[in-house]
Amino acid sequence: MDITLREVVELVRIDLPEDQMEPLLERGLLPGCQLCQVRRSPSGDPIVMVDGTLLAIRHEVARCLCVRRPGSNGA
Amino acid sequence: MCEAPRIQRRLIRRGLSLAPLSDPSCHPGAEDDVLPADRPNAEIIPLVALVGPPNSGKSTLFNQLTGLRQKVANYPGVTVEKHVGTVRLPDHRALQLVDLPGTNGFAARSMDERITRDVLEGHVRGLRAPDALVLIVDSTRLEPQLMLVEPTLKLGIPTLLVLNMADELEQRGGAVRDDELAERLGVNVVRTNARDGDGLDQVRDFLIGVADRGLLPPRPCPALSNVVTSTPLPMVDQFTERRRRIKEISRASGFVLPRSSQLTERLDSLFLHRVWGPLIFLAVVVLVFQSIFTWAVPLMDGVHILVAGSGAWVAERLPDSWLRGLLIDGVWAGVGSVVVFLPQILVLFLFLGLLEDSGYMARAAVIADRTMYRVGLQGRAFLPLMSGYACAIPAILAARTVEDERDRLATIFVTPFMTCSARLPVYALLIAAFIPERRLVGPFLGTRAATLLGLYILGALTAIATAAILRRTLLRGPRDSFFMELPPYRIPSVRSIAIRLYDRSRIFLRRAGTIILAVAIVLWFLTQVPQSGGSPPSIDDSLIGRMGQMIEPAIRPLGFDWTIGVGLISALAAREVIIGTLGTLYHVEDPTQGSLQLQDALRGHLDLGAAVGLLVFFAFALQCTSTVAVMRRETAGWKWPVLQFGYMLTLAYGFAFIANWLI
Repeated sequence: MDITLREVVELVRIDLPEDQMEPLLERGLLPGCQLCQVRRSPSGDPIVMVDGTLLAIRHEVARCLCVRRPGSNGA
Repeated sequence: MCEAPRIQRRLIRRGLSLAPLSDPSCHPGAEDDVLPADRPNAEIIPLVALVGPPNSGKSTLFNQLTGLRQKVANYPGVTVEKHVGTVRLPDHRALQLVDLPGTNGFAARSMDERITRDVLEGHVRGLRAPDALVLIVDSTRLEPQLMLVEPTLKLGIPTLLVLNMADELEQRGGAVRDDELAERLGVNVVRTNARDGDGLDQVRDFLIGVADRGLLPPRPCPALSNVVTSTPLPMVDQFTERRRRIKEISRASGFVLPRSSQLTERLDSLFLHRVWGPLIFLAVVVLVFQSIFTWAVPLMDGVHILVAGSGAWVAERLPDSWLRGLLIDGVWAGVGSVVVFLPQILVLFLFLGLLEDSGYMARAAVIADRTMYRVGLQGRAFLPLMSGYACAIPAILAARTVEDERDRLATIFVTPFMTCSARLPVYALLIAAFIPERRLVGPFLGTRAATLLGLYILGALTAIATAAILRRTLLRGPRDSFFMELPPYRIPSVRSIAIRLYDRSRIFLRRAGTIILAVAIVLWFLTQVPQSGGSPPSIDDSLIGRMGQMIEPAIRPLGFDWTIGVGLISALAAREVIIGTLGTLYHVEDPTQGSLQLQDALRGHLDLGAAVGLLVFFAFALQCTSTVAVMRRETAGWKWPVLQFGYMLTLAYGFAFIANWLI
């Protein structure tokens, strides 16, 4: 799904092995949370805002984040 | 889990007196802070642990509460990573406060998390299980930060929750009712602005309560974990559950998420800009180097004048005796040649401190990540590698922030290739002695500067190549899913940075006063025996001379004679010691890198090929026992340090041989 900058979406699930997922979970990047991409890093990786925290993630990881628009059922 | 305390104990036993750079509070020890557990007769005072996520202002609070009464000692029981300080209460009672590394959880993925967990669970020998906890969070990012609170409260230790940066929360339109929060979490809650000292009295009130209550009786401590393993729920669900509870609590406490910081938004749109971001990044790196190599120079000259002046003053007042020889040729020359670098190291740490505390370092890591990823490292390795230009030891400790173990090992392994400041005087001396100054590019770049730059590039390229090789051989494996939390930009606290620089100076001077002093004295002694008829032997006949001649065959192929061999051996203590050693061997009166006499003497012992060989040798060889020791501790074994020493020595010998043979 293409997400535009500043669009608030809901995280549905994280397709990563548990040990790689844990640090993200600790920082509040959890299924059910609202996140929004606020900008891109110079190398094009997304920087997202979750509950007031800015997280820079590699796009390889971002691809493992399954999100949906709030209110919609599809992922 | 059972592995952690064992590693921990092993780490503790080898205490090197240098503290991590990543943790903004490194506090070297002093004798009066021997912990009660190690001094059975002393009064045992309660221990309070300071816990919190990174960038929550934890170390600022620690510094505010302890001031300069903070130490780390290197005896069994307290490791360098345990920054222990004493809090004096208004009624003169004392408490111990331990500042734990910033963590987001207790999964023990990183060394920092492991240490935090072990201290909280009371698994660290010589450090009692904490009698109380002070949990500090950044209230502008309250909800994710509370994720750490729940597992910590399960420990059942009296806890104070500190909502730091409370003024910023309000300024940005956020809110929280701390009384509600306190009630729902079942802990005391206070608001602070640790930087300005607001709310510290309430923290002290809590500490008075701790002192009143005294020591907690020994108790079986529940194991800390992010996830309660007995529950059948998958990890994600357990986190989601915890998150749901926290949401509920924060909602009931009237928490309003603050607007995002305008300052952070504006600065990020510049610092993370597609074009400006990388340019500013480069400018910052250049600025840091510029400051080390140009701005620190007047200060270094000042220190040099002080050292030389005081040496001359002492020399004048002592009769010509062996004692004068020892003091002047041994102590002053040996220790003085190292102390000169203090300003350079402080300038570097000043910049690193400013960059870290302001929040820029996290952005730099993001910008560097893609490039680092290509060579087999990751963005978090940027800070350790950058610190490696000052000294590999704090750099290796800083690598603890690299969560992925393979990435951390790779970072540690390549760090000693970064040109540390101890190599600089050796380079400066050899370049001045052997490379004639000619202009290369206009008025800016001469042959000498170019040679120096070349040596820096040689080190960096070798580091990159080594990382790439490691990632394809010994450290092959899946890549870590790198991500970086970007803290809001904040104005660094002068006090925190000043305390850090003060600590750095103490650590550095202590090293100069112990290891380097010992080498200088031993070396001087070896030049004085065997005495014949009450006078010292000629240098060739001295004990050191004979030892040098014994190893000469091994280094002949590199074009080095025995004096260089002795220099190389003494440089194992610290690279720059070779200058003082050669000064002693060649009977030079003022053995600093600027000494013309020493340069002349060197030209008598080395030809150009061998001199280039020696430069290359220093670029590669792991001529630093402190680095080996810290490697051993950080990798919990001899495998990596031995491998690294062998690898670097092979490269050094090989390339020095080629240089000598070609030129």
